[in-house]
Amino acid sequence: MIRIKNLTRYYQMGPTTVKAIDDINLSIGGGEFVSIIGPSGSGKSTLMNIIGCLDSPTSGTYSLAGEETAALSKDMLAEIRNRYIGFVFQNFNLLPRESAVENVELPLIYAGVPSKERRQKALGILKRVDLEGREFHLPNELSGGQRQRVAIARALAVNPKILLADEPTGALDTKTGAQIMELFRELQSEGVTLIMVTHDRDVAAQGRRIVEIRDGHILTDVPVEEWRK
Amino acid sequence: MKTFKFTESLKMSLRSITSNKIRSFLTALGVMIGVAAVITLVALGNGSQKAVESSLQSLGSNLLIVYSGQPKGPSLVRRNTTNIAPALSEDDLEFINSLPESMVLHAAPESSASGQVKYGNANTGATVVGTDTGYTAIRNYYPIYGSFFAQSDINARKPVAVIGAQVYKDLFDDGFDPIGQKIRINGIGFKVVGIMEEKGSSTTDTQIFIPISTFQKYISGSSKYALINIQAANLDSMRELQKFLEDELLHMHRLPSMDAADFYIANQLDLLSTMEGVTGTFTLLLASIAAISLIVGGIGIMNIMLVAVTERTREIGIRMALGAKSKDILSQFLTEAIILSVGGGLIGILIGISAAYGASRFGGMASVISVQSILLAFGFAVITGLFFGGYPAYQASKLDPIEALRYE
Repeated sequence: MIRIKNLTRYYQMGPTTVKAIDDINLSIGGGEFVSIIGPSGSGKSTLMNIIGCLDSPTSGTYSLAGEETAALSKDMLAEIRNRYIGFVFQNFNLLPRESAVENVELPLIYAGVPSKERRQKALGILKRVDLEGREFHLPNELSGGQRQRVAIARALAVNPKILLADEPTGALDTKTGAQIMELFRELQSEGVTLIMVTHDRDVAAQGRRIVEIRDGHILTDVPVEEWRK
Repeated sequence: MKTFKFTESLKMSLRSITSNKIRSFLTALGVMIGVAAVITLVALGNGSQKAVESSLQSLGSNLLIVYSGQPKGPSLVRRNTTNIAPALSEDDLEFINSLPESMVLHAAPESSASGQVKYGNANTGATVVGTDTGYTAIRNYYPIYGSFFAQSDINARKPVAVIGAQVYKDLFDDGFDPIGQKIRINGIGFKVVGIMEEKGSSTTDTQIFIPISTFQKYISGSSKYALINIQAANLDSMRELQKFLEDELLHMHRLPSMDAADFYIANQLDLLSTMEGVTGTFTLLLASIAAISLIVGGIGIMNIMLVAVTERTREIGIRMALGAKSKDILSQFLTEAIILSVGGGLIGILIGISAAYGASRFGGMASVISVQSILLAFGFAVITGLFFGGYPAYQASKLDPIEALRYE
């Protein structure tokens, strides 16, 4: 699914070059649930942005579902994001003036799905994440957990290959956080590839494989059982 | 296949416009006022042009006027004729009258003086005009009641008078039949024989017409005329006729050139084109003022759109993360700007038309609404939206999704 080879991402900060990611190799197969963990400044967000096709590497290659992304234009990347990737953010990033169902419809709009079909699909996904009856509420009329479910529903709307979650429980209490993790495991069992970035070791332990990053390098890359030891 | 339809842009824009109604209204207001101003001011400019033209036309058609003296100033607008020293003789008039009908249709002498008119206890000021029977045809100005004096009145130097509409109002009760009544002009008794039609101009309606011979005998004491009104046979040869008359009259007056002449000839064509030039400039001036306000309206749109893009940076980031391309974002914000300017433009057209109509209906101003000015103003509004909305929309479309998502 994901094949990353000799990937680097440098930033030019005035005269100094910051190596956010330095020579990373990583492969993730379909249906995996991978936690990427590391302290802030370790390069995990940069890696996340590149996997999410929001950013392009300085050098190295990144192929997603067989497509080489390094050389793609901004608009091509937008299309790949739309088709292959679902984003779940720490602060949900819902559009405040749009109802739950309209938020879920957003990626479908950009995928060119006709409005009737769009609405049906969005309603179905909201049902899947247990938000039946909340479809026409605005984000500020929903609880944190419900908002994150809307965000997850939105990420799932176009049947993405990968669900990218950036600190998905960061803004939630422990109990709702656990419910979201439950939902993630369910999705994994349905065949969705999950990549979660966090600095919280307990949350990371919910994944099946742990990739630990420090200073732009991969420190460890092991199954969760081994990592727990 | 991914096709981001225009209808989606439209829906998004309408949602964002309606979610902040006051701001949207104020933004569109600039364009509204601009468009309304263009339409109203151009209508008023055109109206005054038409009014000037028609008042010049009402002087009579194909009119040439031979004035005594030298022209004063560049303007050929009809001067106060009461203080012209008469310098045109009966020979001059006879010469002009002797010209064939293919050149001159009518000629009428004219001298005037200001006078005090009395009837019973009523009394008013008027311009006493001495002329002959050709005057009515030349000036296209006829009695509405009674009749103009006749050639026999001129021959007999009779003290008869045809009074202007305003003079009638000042001297007589409404509906009173003045024919045959005796009025006193500067103490001399005159018999009223007719009332002239109302022209709506205070200089025209306060005149009293008496036979030229009577004028010379009782009022001026001179056998000369202040001016001679001439109706040319056709419009196209008016300038040639003017030149011909200048040459002939110079010769008759034994004068070397027009610089030394004791007369000059005003041509209605020149008058018209001068006035058209003046009112045209006036209209252009009004239109430019209006166009400036339209530009100011456009800047208002740009300002708000720039604010909107900054405010909605995060929304733009989210949309981009979810798969919006640059052109999708561009089209969303551009559509919003165009809806504001076109909406403002349409309302502005309604306001402009109503204001122009109101100004002529209730303000007594002449206004002629021109379709071109409506199309021009509306087209300009659309271009304003495109141009002033284009830059902020472009800025929005070029945002980096990572930066935009991080924006607080």
